Amino acid sequence: MDFEFTEDQVMLRGLVREFLSEQCPVSHVRAMMDDSRGYDRDLYRRLIQLGMLPFPEAYGGAGLGMIEQAIVLEEMGRIPYPGPYFATVILAGGALMASGDRRTQARYLPDVSNGDLTMSLAFLEGGIAWGPETIRLSLRRDRDGYRLDGIKRFVPFGQSVDVILVVARAGEGRSAEGISLVAVPAGTPGLAIEPELMMDLTSKTATLRFEGVSVPAENLVGPEGGAWPAVELALRQAAVGASAEMLGAARKALEMSVDYAKVRKQFGQYIGQFQAIKHKLAEMLELVENAHAAVYYAAWALDARAPDAALAASVAKSTVNVAGRRVCGEAIQVHGGIGFTWEYDLHLYFKRAKHLEPLYGDTEYHRERVLQEVLAGRVAGSA
Amino acid sequence: MDLSYTAEDQAFRQRVRAWLAENVPRQKLITMEEKKAWHRKLYDAGFIGMGLPREYGGRDARPMEQAIVGEEMVRAKAPPPLNGLGIAIVIPTLIHHGTEQQKRRFIHKLLTAEELWCQLYSEPNAGSDLASLQCRADLDGDEFVINGQKIWTSGAHNADWGLLLARTDRTAPKHDGISCLLVDMHSPGIEVRTLKQISGSGEFCEVFFTTVRVPRENLVGDLNAGWRIAQTTLSYERGGNTLSRYARMLQQVTRLLEVCQVLQRDGRPAIEDPLVRQKLGQIYAEMEVLRYASLRILSRLERGLRPGPESSLAKLHYSELDKRVQELILDVLGPYGQQVGGLPDELALVPGVDYGEEGSWMYAFLWSRAGTIYAGSSEIQKNIIGERVLGLPKEVRADRVVAQTAGAARGDGAD
Repeated sequence: MDFEFTEDQVMLRGLVREFLSEQCPVSHVRAMMDDSRGYDRDLYRRLIQLGMLPFPEAYGGAGLGMIEQAIVLEEMGRIPYPGPYFATVILAGGALMASGDRRTQARYLPDVSNGDLTMSLAFLEGGIAWGPETIRLSLRRDRDGYRLDGIKRFVPFGQSVDVILVVARAGEGRSAEGISLVAVPAGTPGLAIEPELMMDLTSKTATLRFEGVSVPAENLVGPEGGAWPAVELALRQAAVGASAEMLGAARKALEMSVDYAKVRKQFGQYIGQFQAIKHKLAEMLELVENAHAAVYYAAWALDARAPDAALAASVAKSTVNVAGRRVCGEAIQVHGGIGFTWEYDLHLYFKRAKHLEPLYGDTEYHRERVLQEVLAGRVAGSA
Repeated sequence: MDLSYTAEDQAFRQRVRAWLAENVPRQKLITMEEKKAWHRKLYDAGFIGMGLPREYGGRDARPMEQAIVGEEMVRAKAPPPLNGLGIAIVIPTLIHHGTEQQKRRFIHKLLTAEELWCQLYSEPNAGSDLASLQCRADLDGDEFVINGQKIWTSGAHNADWGLLLARTDRTAPKHDGISCLLVDMHSPGIEVRTLKQISGSGEFCEVFFTTVRVPRENLVGDLNAGWRIAQTTLSYERGGNTLSRYARMLQQVTRLLEVCQVLQRDGRPAIEDPLVRQKLGQIYAEMEVLRYASLRILSRLERGLRPGPESSLAKLHYSELDKRVQELILDVLGPYGQQVGGLPDELALVPGVDYGEEGSWMYAFLWSRAGTIYAGSSEIQKNIIGERVLGLPKEVRADRVVAQTAGAARGDGAD
């Protein structure tokens, strides 16, 4: 039993923190808010080349696990980093790895690993759901390949990545049977990409409309009609990864609030002397430390393929969803008026945490999942 | 980072589990003789004070082994040992500050529960602000003469000895005039009255001292050094074994899930109601986070790191969570959760308990209100977290005028 990070993990955190604080200052983040692509390709390439990817070394990765990805994403949440790392590595990369499709892995992952190729995963359509029943985008056989028709919304960096993995369905069912995963390059005829204007300007998303989009058969990822298990695992990893990023944003907002409470004076004393503020900050620390425990337990459980990995992922997302909104929200309260200004950086963290809150399962979704896992007996076997 | 249990820990857990399956009493323990016999059995098996050095009767056990025993005791529904507070507070105090003679005289008999202990800290006017205590210990030749009152003293009515904080210098700033004494609870001049609590039971006591004489050799550490001594051992009371607290909550919520299969709500089993499911999922998630946080603390202890002010985070966490767990249980059970006696077996936490006895939903609910008050209230914990973990400036305090010479940070709040 060891909950402390290894030396390598501590070094990785230091490496990412140093790179991002030097190469991605808040002035850059703010510049990207107004950029139509939403990220700097050169910065992204150098970030990827730090050597922290979860893919096998044969594909140019470092073979690292979810704990390491959580460390990287937590550091990104502290910036907050604007770019398609999460979309490419966690969502699309996670789905590719989970698919077990070596041909497709070999086709894309080496380019992903040197930073030349960016990707994303298109899942949400009309409503809000994270199960197979929500997938309606139609997949039909078409001569030598497939034809796609339908709509995808809130695709992370859908307007600026090179290849999008699309979750699609053959036929009219609602079950996991019939779900396929198809790689669609940006620029394919029939694919219309409309950028969405969202509250968090550092996390770009897009609506994708598919009208008779044709792709060759080789673009199918994994077995036809049998992709759901891979998609489900990718979404589970994404829930933990998003939790890690929200944890980073929350811890940064807490640190800013503590620093502020030590210098801001009212009524002739530092506001941090007042119990009204002191106790709020203590509660925020408790939320952040509990979020830390939840994120890294879940990351470990995924890496270890523990029997409670799904439970832990849902515990993490539901916990950090609440911690993120409360810590970042109370941070604004502690700051008062200055925290409500565009010029002050606090809203960047507040919005990044809020952006991730509904994605890959909101709080209610994951609480229901927690109960399902418990009732099914998939809990930690401590003995 | 590796959160799996080692093969060694798993084997140890199996041995503990097997021992408990063999030895846990099947009948409820009623008399003190029965409770002492069970305690002695636990001691002989090596499960009492097991983290202490061997020279003091412990086993040099690792924090993980202690946590496993605590968790398995709850799982096996084993009656708790005696002298819990004595083992947690008195023994470390004696080891760090006691004389050789005090160690030899007291530690072994405390561990075996041949002598029962209580902790005489709080007073009617000294709760969170413990250092303002007024109970006096005046030196008279080779004896201290004690006059005053203590309150919220767990188990004083059964205690043979008490660890007392009393004022020995009334001219000094308030933190500097306190001493720590070992008091024979059978001394003339001590009167103990039990307090009936909101649960209907009476574990807490008031203790009155009228000219009680205590030999000078029962002073622990230096004269007027009592506050510092109490500080070094108070954190033992906070956040020590959170895994066993998790295990107890888990036992209750697991039972609640069973009851929810039977209890009807709006014409169907409660477990099928989406709102009930949301609450159950939420509370189970919160309990899992307590488990993860406990493992994190445990892993630090395993590396030999001592619990510092961070133990306030653990104490705040589990005590506030327990209130949420118990509120949720009563939300789900409605009036059935408040019924004591006569509750159908399929709805009961433990069938057949009477009012004021441990084992009913109601009893656990009411006791959850105590956890955020004793051992330093939640408000005191937040002060400690704010000032000593986050490094926020101290609040302006009216008593600082006299206490200014008294030195650095204080973490007030004892019991």
